[in-house]
Amino acid sequence: MKNEVIIHLKDVAKFYRIGEKNMVKAVDGIDLKIKKGDFVAIMGPSGSGKSTSMNLIGSLDVPTKGSIYLDGKDISHLSESDLAELRGKKIGFIFQQFNLIPNLTVRENVMLPMDFQGIPIWEMKQVAEKILKKIGLGDRMDFYPNQLSGGQQQRVAIARSLANDPEVILADEPTGNLDSKTGETVMGFLEELHAEGKTVIMVTHDPDLAKEHARTVYWLKDGKIEKITKKRVK
Amino acid sequence: MISRQTVKYSLRNLNKQKARSFFTILSIFLGIATIFIFVSFGLGLYGYIEDLTESSSADKLIIQPKGGTLQMFSSNVEFDDEDLEAVQGVSGVYGATGSYFKTVEVKAQEKRLYTLLISYDPKNPLIMDTSNIEVERGRQVRSGGKEVVLGHNYGVDNKIFPKAIRLNQNIEINGENIKVVGFFEEVGNPQDDSQAYMSNDYMEELYSDENLTYLWMIAQVDLDNIETVKERIERELRNARNLEKGKEDFFVQSFDDLIDGFSNTLDVIILFIVFIALISVAVSAINTANTMITSVLERTKEIGIIKSIGARNSDVFGIFLFESGFLGFMGGVAGILLGWFLSYLGGLLLGFYGYSFLQPSFPAWLFVACVIFATVTGAVSGVWPAVNASQVNPVDALRYE
Repeated sequence: MKNEVIIHLKDVAKFYRIGEKNMVKAVDGIDLKIKKGDFVAIMGPSGSGKSTSMNLIGSLDVPTKGSIYLDGKDISHLSESDLAELRGKKIGFIFQQFNLIPNLTVRENVMLPMDFQGIPIWEMKQVAEKILKKIGLGDRMDFYPNQLSGGQQQRVAIARSLANDPEVILADEPTGNLDSKTGETVMGFLEELHAEGKTVIMVTHDPDLAKEHARTVYWLKDGKIEKITKKRVK
Repeated sequence: MISRQTVKYSLRNLNKQKARSFFTILSIFLGIATIFIFVSFGLGLYGYIEDLTESSSADKLIIQPKGGTLQMFSSNVEFDDEDLEAVQGVSGVYGATGSYFKTVEVKAQEKRLYTLLISYDPKNPLIMDTSNIEVERGRQVRSGGKEVVLGHNYGVDNKIFPKAIRLNQNIEINGENIKVVGFFEEVGNPQDDSQAYMSNDYMEELYSDENLTYLWMIAQVDLDNIETVKERIERELRNARNLEKGKEDFFVQSFDDLIDGFSNTLDVIILFIVFIALISVAVSAINTANTMITSVLERTKEIGIIKSIGARNSDVFGIFLFESGFLGFMGGVAGILLGWFLSYLGGLLLGFYGYSFLQPSFPAWLFVACVIFATVTGAVSGVWPAVNASQVNPVDALRYE
């Protein structure tokens, strides 16, 4: 199972038109295969195309050319609604800015992704509470996001990403808005998820973070993969 | 279909923007309250008219000088006994009577006032049938008797006189002491309820120095052939009065004609007012659309977030459509509550001032229809913003600040 490819980007490019004449090649012919259960980091300075890659991997966006396969299925030409359904089931997002819904409590934030999958309310509650307890927020379930610290909010975001038990966790600069100690805690959770068999994909500009945690690191530059490094598992 | 969780999410959003939601609801509810008030009064009036149509007045024809009752005192058209006999002789007419109308001074308890005195034939009180009223206390007048039956309001304290007139008490009409033998039941408008009635014979005696003429003639006719009988009366009366066809100085009206005229006028008035109220609802719909467009703009990033966690376009569309529909629904509920309260209060006040026929009617469907109308209006105004929201690109939305 470990050698099964879950995400495959085949000669993928994403161009943006800026003004009448200028074309920005955000991603320009990327080939990558992410295996199930891997911990991957996509590394690069700003403007290297890592955010665009994350959007493509996370099926938030479709490529200008090339194909993207998720679990063997070509998703490059799916409609926005089909993509939404797919990412709701298969991908859990963790954002740099947490991106919680301010009007919903911690519990409700975690329940929301399940709601879009049509899961009955009693089950949503049960699952949300279980994940939140596991992540150490059992006593904060009725709090609103603005009543929590940054670290706690990021943990809620992690809990939310796990709501539909997705195969892939996609984290965009997960520690970018946190102090180093809290950042470590958050990375600890990601390590734990990886240990449980989840595929974790992290986008970061911090080489140390990438080297320390990821098993596979894709180094991007100017929209292309510059190099791939793999960590030997002891 | 929108789920319980997303309903909760929508309601929290509306609650967060309390002032904006409040003013949007306010603009809807004023329009709905106006519609509710006028429709409830309109329905009340239609009900009243329906009661009249089904009453004993259906088989009566009223013959009046052209210009109608409003011109009763300025018209120089008069009917005499020959005219009445002409009507009585028409085939299909079961009986016909004439009525004199006089403005008289009534005096009691040191107070004077002017009112309309109407005469009728006690043996055939057709005029009572046309008004659909009966004697409530006491009895009808007798032919030639120095007696009068008074409108309902004379028998009530502080309506016309400080103290109610009692049965068998004398009342002074144009200086004559006349015995009050009865009171009519309430018609529901102050004019009719303050009139006085006496027999044709006694009115002729009272005004023996004047040559009295009838202002109204009323015929009881064969209901099944009422239109034919009406034409026959017109022909006979034209002959009796030496008038050419088309140059009549009188007109014959069935009760249906009267009601039709009244209903048509009522239709136009109510439609006009409802049309004005609809304009205010349209303005509130634009207001709702504006609220929703602002809300979509403000929540662009949130739309991106919920899309990234699995919301389909239809889910986002549903959330915003629900919000605008809910604003409409709240406006509708508030509107019918205010409308019901004001109509009820209006009905009470009108009743207090003697217009008890002018009462609102509150059928259940009116409440339901107003709420549905408001909700649909709200939802329809939210369609365009909701479509915009559903088509937001999640990548752009997540970057939106």
